[in-house]
Amino acid sequence: MYLTLLVSGLVIGSIYGLIALGYSLIYKSSGLLSFVQGDIMTLGAFLGLTFYSYLGLPFVVSLLLTVACAVALGFALEKGVIRPLLNKNVATVYIVLATIAISYIVQNGSMIAWGSITLNFPSVFGVGTVKIGKINVQPEALMCILVGFICMILLHFYMTKTKLGTSMRAASMDAMAAESCGIDVSLSTGISWGLSAGLAAIAGILIGPIYGVYTTLGAVIGRKGFSSAVIGGYGNMYGAIVGGLILGLVETFSASRVSSTYKNLIAYCLLLVFLLVKPTGIFNEKAVQD
Amino acid sequence: MAPILELKNFSYSYGSIQAVKGIDLYVEEGEMVTLIGANGAGKTTTMQTISGLTPPTGVSGEIWFDGKRIDKKKGNKITARGLSHVLEGRHVFSKLTVEENLMMGAYLRKDSSGVKEDLSKVYELFPRLLERRMQHAGTLSGGEQQMVAIGRSMMARPKMILLDEPSLGLAPIIIKGIFEAIVEINKQGTTILFVEQNSKIALATANRGYVMQTGEIVLMDTCKKLEANEEVKKAYLGGE
Repeated sequence: MYLTLLVSGLVIGSIYGLIALGYSLIYKSSGLLSFVQGDIMTLGAFLGLTFYSYLGLPFVVSLLLTVACAVALGFALEKGVIRPLLNKNVATVYIVLATIAISYIVQNGSMIAWGSITLNFPSVFGVGTVKIGKINVQPEALMCILVGFICMILLHFYMTKTKLGTSMRAASMDAMAAESCGIDVSLSTGISWGLSAGLAAIAGILIGPIYGVYTTLGAVIGRKGFSSAVIGGYGNMYGAIVGGLILGLVETFSASRVSSTYKNLIAYCLLLVFLLVKPTGIFNEKAVQD
Repeated sequence: MAPILELKNFSYSYGSIQAVKGIDLYVEEGEMVTLIGANGAGKTTTMQTISGLTPPTGVSGEIWFDGKRIDKKKGNKITARGLSHVLEGRHVFSKLTVEENLMMGAYLRKDSSGVKEDLSKVYELFPRLLERRMQHAGTLSGGEQQMVAIGRSMMARPKMILLDEPSLGLAPIIIKGIFEAIVEINKQGTTILFVEQNSKIALATANRGYVMQTGEIVLMDTCKKLEANEEVKKAYLGGE
């Protein structure tokens, strides 16, 4: 029983974590907040379903195509909407509002394209369950946890150990100095938005086979991903995943121990407690402009 | 031979406010030139516009660098042409280590052996940075941060370096060291143009100087002659 709960908590936690990684990346690179993350996840699930189920492509190919589409979308979003707004020197709230608008456009757009009923994402591995110790687990669930973990490691490696990743951090710390080092700051910010969207799409294609695919899939999960990023320490890559796992586990256990009706209440109470007690999150991350 | 940097009838406006009003300025290859003047004279605007770091909409006139027009080009493209800028207020990447900061200066370079060579040159010039190479730049003292900023510019192996207020907020003993380093960089063949509030040290260090007042250049001469000029003495050297 506990093990089963643990696995499903980790699964949804990894999903929150992937979304949270995107929030953190956008914050780190541009100091902004984008509410489109959740809906790009929905879009990722729909696109993955289309490539995999309707077009009959192999799962890995579908995954890569979906990520590529999402990266392009994220990049275009930054270049087409966010950057022009930034160039107009508008207040940050306007940009956040713009992302909320895009969120609804993507959400409604997917309803037009794929309809409003929940679609079934066929099994990826062709087997129902695998046995771990005494419990049966969906292989898709294990993939979810594994991929979430790999993404965190890769992203951390990319941001800290590669020249391009370091230049992205540099650009977020001091855009003018980065520009004078020869870094294309505008391109660098675009890439971060693209990567964030890619992560969200991965989350979508992973959760699809477990939860099914519907237009508001990402709306709730996106908000929880945002909360996870805050709990973990907004802007910190490890914090994002850890925050996601904590939220996922708390939610799953409280749904089982207390009542699933109250799971959101408990999850958001936890968020409030965190905000009041440890506003910097678990991994203390200072604001970008320090 | 044409100067390596030349500004022709250069103006810069922030909206309706004209910060720089049609100045002419040139720097010959290998020279060390200073631009002095009071706060708000337009020095930093001039420097940042040369480097392409101000919005291009405010520029008028021409800026030539190394035989090509660079006004309205993007900052990263100008850096790629061999013009590096040590910004006013140092602008180190506070959460990158000293060495990561320096390596960002070499961001555009592909010759890894040359980069290594230049890194040891920077450490030779500023041994303090070698001791602190793994430390976050934000934890360094002001003087050490200025060393990081200058070292980062050197890492681009530029033809010319612009320095904006290298002495800002530093103790006199530190300022002396920083200027010795700048002279050394110039001796090794890099052309230098620097802005300085501390006119005394500026005129003692550079070969030639411009005096800027409310957006206009009012004087240009060798530093020796500027030091002897009565007006300059009165306005910038404290009448000594």
